[in-house]
Amino acid sequence: MKRNLFALALLLIPATAPALNIFACEPEWAALAKELAPEAKIYSATTAYQDPHYIEARPSLVAKARQADLLICTGAEMEVGWLPVLLRQGGNPRIQADQPGHLMAAEHVERLEVLGKVSRSMGDVHAAGNPHVHLDPHRLLLIAELSRDRLIQVDPDNAEQYRQRFLDFAARWASAIEKWEQQAQPLKGLEYVSYHKNFSYFADWLGLTRLATLEPKPGIPPSAKHVQKLHGELEGRAVLAVLTTAAQPTKNAERLAKKLDTTAVVLPFSPGAEGADDLFALFQVSIDRLLAAQ
Amino acid sequence: MLDLWEHYHWLTPPFVAGLLVVVTHVVFGQEVLRRGIIFIDLTIAQMAALGVIVAVLLGLDGGWLTQAFAVGAAFIASLGLSWSEKRYPQKQEAIIGSLYVVAASLVLLLLAKDPHASEQINRLLAGQILWLGWQDIWPVALLYAAVLAVWFMSGQRGFYLLFSLVVTSSVQMIGLYLVFATLVLPSLASKRLPVAWTIGALGYLLGFTASVQLDMPAGPAVVVALAVSALGYNGVLTVRRLTSNV
Repeated sequence: MKRNLFALALLLIPATAPALNIFACEPEWAALAKELAPEAKIYSATTAYQDPHYIEARPSLVAKARQADLLICTGAEMEVGWLPVLLRQGGNPRIQADQPGHLMAAEHVERLEVLGKVSRSMGDVHAAGNPHVHLDPHRLLLIAELSRDRLIQVDPDNAEQYRQRFLDFAARWASAIEKWEQQAQPLKGLEYVSYHKNFSYFADWLGLTRLATLEPKPGIPPSAKHVQKLHGELEGRAVLAVLTTAAQPTKNAERLAKKLDTTAVVLPFSPGAEGADDLFALFQVSIDRLLAAQ
Repeated sequence: MLDLWEHYHWLTPPFVAGLLVVVTHVVFGQEVLRRGIIFIDLTIAQMAALGVIVAVLLGLDGGWLTQAFAVGAAFIASLGLSWSEKRYPQKQEAIIGSLYVVAASLVLLLLAKDPHASEQINRLLAGQILWLGWQDIWPVALLYAAVLAVWFMSGQRGFYLLFSLVVTSSVQMIGLYLVFATLVLPSLASKRLPVAWTIGALGYLLGFTASVQLDMPAGPAVVVALAVSALGYNGVLTVRRLTSNV
């Protein structure tokens, strides 16, 4: 009798579908997934304090890749050093390259700085163009739309929910874009220096121009000689700021900023860095810090 | 149990790679300790790495030519060391050490302008054993089998040549730290080959378990586990000796 009661109690517990597993290569895609599918189990392979070009092989990476129903990464060669082996080692058919569960965000939007021919002497440049697309909110919205479609494909039972969530996100995002574009008006036409070329989309959106990078070539750490050379070239120009991300060293940026009589500003770049808990905060904090640098 | 297999069977190729390394390296480790040239593997591995990097910088990315450069550089180094061992026996260890730092510095100089320098150097040192699949392992297994066959059938001759072949391939597979640890730690614990093999295998098992439990890179975890395994064995021996004396 007791056992029957127990079985009955089990039946009365509402059956919940197992949560969808989402594997994001970078925190920006994890944050986007959270907007569209907050009830999913979302894992980010890297944090805002890491360089996603290279990560150490850890068992949990493979375990998470094995469970994933949807993989959202930047693509355009950014994770080329580790994602292919991870996909192979995980052996998960749902997230292989030809599946709807495999979304390479940057490959679905127009990219800046696309090069025809790339040689090793040019440094760590990507023939497929600059992959750091998420800092343009318009492109991000396109990627959100695409993520909604993929979520519906891999989890059709909850299609209606994903449609609703996207509409809600798109509305909030569009009004945020309007607000940000208003706030950032004074930044238009200003010039900046950055450590790496990873603010190209952000700058393109707000009408900022990059004068130089601290790295002599992408991926090569700045040398004292290069910083000296930049100082010589840029002396006397009105530089808004020398920009780094939470994952980059700030020493050379501070040195150059001091020489050029401007400020070194650390922008979060990815959600999860200090002050930027979600995508909205990421953009707001970035704009606020640039306005404060003026 | 089935669930465990389901979750962790992807670890089989990396673990098998580890066991293959144990089988071969402990054999050579005994010889390295007998000759008292502990740092020779670091040096030969570093020369192999130098060969790989020269090949890459020449635009021969991947493939057999890269391997030819690696083996070539390692073999030149081992020929030189084989000669110096006879010519300057008392200075051999110092020569080995010096060659190591020079080769390591050349690698740093050659990679100074390379965007992937730090990750290449890191991969070379700490390795990425977890990323290994069967397709990476079987060529190395064939090579190891051939080398061991020649070593035992020739009456343990041709040490420097065989050793450089083994180290060149294993460094690219599992990294310098793990090669060194596998070579030296089990042999340091015991001069008896079966015992040293067991200590080595136990170290890999322990290291992989720790890596999975604590979610840490497997290479460094195995290095530490090999030390624990070797020390543990000696601890047991000591306790047994003390208690039998009582």
